[in-house]
Amino acid sequence: MDENVKTAEREVTLERLREIDDDLRLPAVPEQVSYPIETLIPEARTQTPAVGQRASRPDGRLHGLGQTKYIDDLSFPGMIHAKIKRAGISKARVKNIDVSEAEKMPGVMATLVGSEIPVNSFGPSYQDQPVMVNGTVFHAGDPVAAVAATTEQLALDALDKIKIDYEPLEAVYDPIEAMKDNAPQVHEGESNIYSSKVIQKGDVEQGFEASHRIYENTFSTQMVEHVPMEPHASIADWDGNGRVTLHSSLGRITLGRADIARTLNMPINRIRVIATVVGGNFGGKNEITTEPILALLSKKTGRPVKGVYTREDEFMSSTTRHPFIMDYKTGMSKDGKILARKVRLVCDGGAYCSWSETTLGKACILSAGPYNIENLYVEAYAVYTNKTMTGAMRGFGAPQVCFAYESQMDDMAHDLGIDPLDIRRMNAFHEGSASPTGQVLESVVVRDSLEMAAERFGWQDWNK
Amino acid sequence: MDVKLTINGEEKSASVPPETTLLRLLREEFNLTGAKIGCDVGDCGACTVIVDGIATNSCLMLAGQVQGRSIETIEGLANMDDYHPLQKNFEDLGSLQCGFCGPGIILSAKQLLDDNPDPNKEEIQDALAGNLCRCTGYTKIVEAVADAAREMRGNREAA
Repeated sequence: MDENVKTAEREVTLERLREIDDDLRLPAVPEQVSYPIETLIPEARTQTPAVGQRASRPDGRLHGLGQTKYIDDLSFPGMIHAKIKRAGISKARVKNIDVSEAEKMPGVMATLVGSEIPVNSFGPSYQDQPVMVNGTVFHAGDPVAAVAATTEQLALDALDKIKIDYEPLEAVYDPIEAMKDNAPQVHEGESNIYSSKVIQKGDVEQGFEASHRIYENTFSTQMVEHVPMEPHASIADWDGNGRVTLHSSLGRITLGRADIARTLNMPINRIRVIATVVGGNFGGKNEITTEPILALLSKKTGRPVKGVYTREDEFMSSTTRHPFIMDYKTGMSKDGKILARKVRLVCDGGAYCSWSETTLGKACILSAGPYNIENLYVEAYAVYTNKTMTGAMRGFGAPQVCFAYESQMDDMAHDLGIDPLDIRRMNAFHEGSASPTGQVLESVVVRDSLEMAAERFGWQDWNK
Repeated sequence: MDVKLTINGEEKSASVPPETTLLRLLREEFNLTGAKIGCDVGDCGACTVIVDGIATNSCLMLAGQVQGRSIETIEGLANMDDYHPLQKNFEDLGSLQCGFCGPGIILSAKQLLDDNPDPNKEEIQDALAGNLCRCTGYTKIVEAVADAAREMRGNREAA
């Protein structure tokens, strides 16, 4: 214990307390410019004893022992199992759902359809995603009905007994087609484009006029599934007091709790979400999926209900990385300086918005690359298609545009006869460069990083 | 259907429906949840256990096929006093992140080290080819297996 505090116990005066307080405070940096700066800012490596030390993960031992309990490893007395019937058709009107045969099966305790969801919509930007199909199917992985039964196998068997009449509707799969005026509308409205952004800097046409050569390329990236080793899983327990407890593999439990409260039309304090170790997320477990369905099945049966995705569910219905179509037009000077760039990004959002707006914004800002470009014009669109929905995945749009601008950079370097490292070094941001949206950048080390990397992997030798 | 088998050295029996896989038998009848359901079709290796000395996808084996056979699961590799050098080295190196693939990978590695106490890097990679991991990039996993092999050879020489 601090000596001062000990002796101060009885004879403390207000003055003495102020002195102690002053001793403990750090001098305010901006006001005391004459103060030797070294003593104010501790060395990074001495700030905490942890820096520079090896550490083992606190959960590492249980992982290796096989004792980590993921959702599917938990079970509760009386627990039953839910499975979800997927639409299997990408755009349709549901004329009729008949669950009577499934309900007659021994071991089946309850079924659920979309019309039973109190508020059948959710989503982080726009609430355009139904928890379960109610009337219209927007993509093949949409949940149409759910079954809770005493075993997983019985629940799966019961799915086959559910009869659904569909009236197929015209679907659209290509984002470029979906942008056209006469394209079938994924959701009711005037356009499939639900978000657009523009960044403008300098005069791009003037930049092209001054260019020695202009390069035009189109790049595209594909849809990518996260494939977490652990499929999405939750257990819902609706108790007699009208409280629901959800054990879930959700990564963002506070956001999820709000969405669950919204969809169940319940006060948020009636909902308890317990998150446990997640068997891989990568962005794919950031939103609710079947949690409201399981909660309602638990309400119907009075039993805890476990729902674990099959790998097929995972591929068909969980979020994916956005496919992008990227048109790049870049004007170069003879010596390899980027004079102007025009970019058009089309982000195929799939059936629901999810995090597409965020992704589009980030892709837009990063689409010029870490390069000084005086004349820049970026336009970007997020588009609905009748495909598996897209959502958060590591990078939020950054990897897609990076693939485009770096691929074009290599092509241009080759054509101009400039070393690929030199052309990047020449154009790269430096201290005080402004980003496309005008942010002045500090601590810019991109050139140092490039040079260090080139040296470490022997770029000059490899390049010969 | 009645099944009798040996799990981690102990004789066990259970009565299960005929479609029960070895994976579900272990998880649901014996509460040995170390083996995971990742894909349920034999692609990911998260369900790996050792059947009569061979690392096996337990999701592809029916309970009826293990009648009278001997199974080793991750739970059998450690007791309250001690754990396997593989488990120790995986922990020390931080080889696992989310950990879901861990039990399967450690058991595939155990079969390798049981058969070949001094594997090279390629042999380790080959032995783990049936086990997917989405977090780590495998580097630390391969290192931990090599370290464990070295440690086990050292222990054997000292003994």
